[in-house]
Amino acid sequence: MANISGNAYALTALSPIKNGCIGEISYADEVQDRLHGLGVCEDSPLAKVPQTYLARFFILDDVFYESTPGCDPFCNLLDILSIFKDRFRLLTLPREDHLKSRYLVFSSNFHGDLETYLRGMWSAINADIKRIWEHCVAFDGVRDAEGFITYIKRCRLTANLFFMGSTDDSLEEQLKALYLKQQFVKFAVSHQGLGAAELQEAFRVFIERVQPNRLAAPTWRPGQSIP
Amino acid sequence: MSNIAGKAYAMNVITPIRWYMAWINKLIFWAANRTPSSLRGLVTLSLIHYARWVIIDRWKFPHLDPSQPKEDLHYSYMLFFSNFNGSWDQYVDSFTFAIPSGLDLFWKKNVRYPKSVPLTPFHDYIRHNQIDTDHYYNAYPLASSNDVKSAKHLKQELIAFDQGVRDAGPEEFLKKYHALLVDLQYDLGDMQPAPIVSLATQAVDARRLLDARGPR
Repeated sequence: MANISGNAYALTALSPIKNGCIGEISYADEVQDRLHGLGVCEDSPLAKVPQTYLARFFILDDVFYESTPGCDPFCNLLDILSIFKDRFRLLTLPREDHLKSRYLVFSSNFHGDLETYLRGMWSAINADIKRIWEHCVAFDGVRDAEGFITYIKRCRLTANLFFMGSTDDSLEEQLKALYLKQQFVKFAVSHQGLGAAELQEAFRVFIERVQPNRLAAPTWRPGQSIP
Repeated sequence: MSNIAGKAYAMNVITPIRWYMAWINKLIFWAANRTPSSLRGLVTLSLIHYARWVIIDRWKFPHLDPSQPKEDLHYSYMLFFSNFNGSWDQYVDSFTFAIPSGLDLFWKKNVRYPKSVPLTPFHDYIRHNQIDTDHYYNAYPLASSNDVKSAKHLKQELIAFDQGVRDAGPEEFLKKYHALLVDLQYDLGDMQPAPIVSLATQAVDARRLLDARGPR
């Protein structure tokens, strides 16, 4: 399945938002406002969701009408018909589409399998999930992690191509590696020119402090924005 | 709204494709999945964390309840989501200059796709079909995709080095340490917050400062 590349998973979920309003505000605008109010980086609720590499929410209001010049083969072919009559030329214009619902789009790149991820997500931030998905169609039936998994699976789209340009290691592994990189750069810069014995002792102390094989700590926090 | 989280930019593009052309595109993606070497061009764009293409058939938009109106569309739609480092222009231009043919192969069958060359119509096409992100989260805002990959290499080498010098004398240690630095020289970049690359980023930073201060 193209949602998976190695140990990385690409989740794409489109949740239809109810048509209707709260007062003068549409449900979709209300959802969007709630998304704008979420904290960023380490303060984002997604920072609490285990194994999330990168994730996003946005509202799909509608699809676009392709009014710009283009050169797809179909249009070029039909353009030839314009030598006969203008109405043929008009036939070459793209059709106009509009969505009947607005959609909450959730896209996440994470480590591991979907069910474990969604279960962890529910466990970590179910209050935020309820607030974000509250006005989505059929979400009112979601009561627990299993209900959330079932719901997201109904909203899920299968990727046709998932490209992994980074690594598919667990998030803990990635964050520990980044922490070590940062620390080792500082060590290398600050210990230039030392004698062999002094440097060896400093390195021993460094390794004791950074504990390269211990993923839990010391390490970077998910979403950490300050070095 | 922010398309930016630290050093990553979130791009969302949705473009129409005729339903019968969608099947051809699916076949191309299927072939690309089967032959990873066909994605070599994308690998050279080392600024990408993760990217995906999703084709939604016109009758397959999620329909969860009888109360929800069913979509009635002329076209199927192709979604493209990318997480990359750098600015919008750098990313779009790097596609054009590095893999114009591959790009055209993936998009060419989309309605009114102008081709990746020349640049300006391609820019216009992406801008026209791009949707802004409302909330974007990045687990490592200080790091680029290259940082993540180089950190993995550095961690492996550092652990191997540590194990290899435990019983070494000081001179042998120093010799191996210098060799380690030479080996890791391309992985030793310092990581700091991203520079301000756009007014939008600046606005996000300003918002964060306000949030940190709390309500007045």
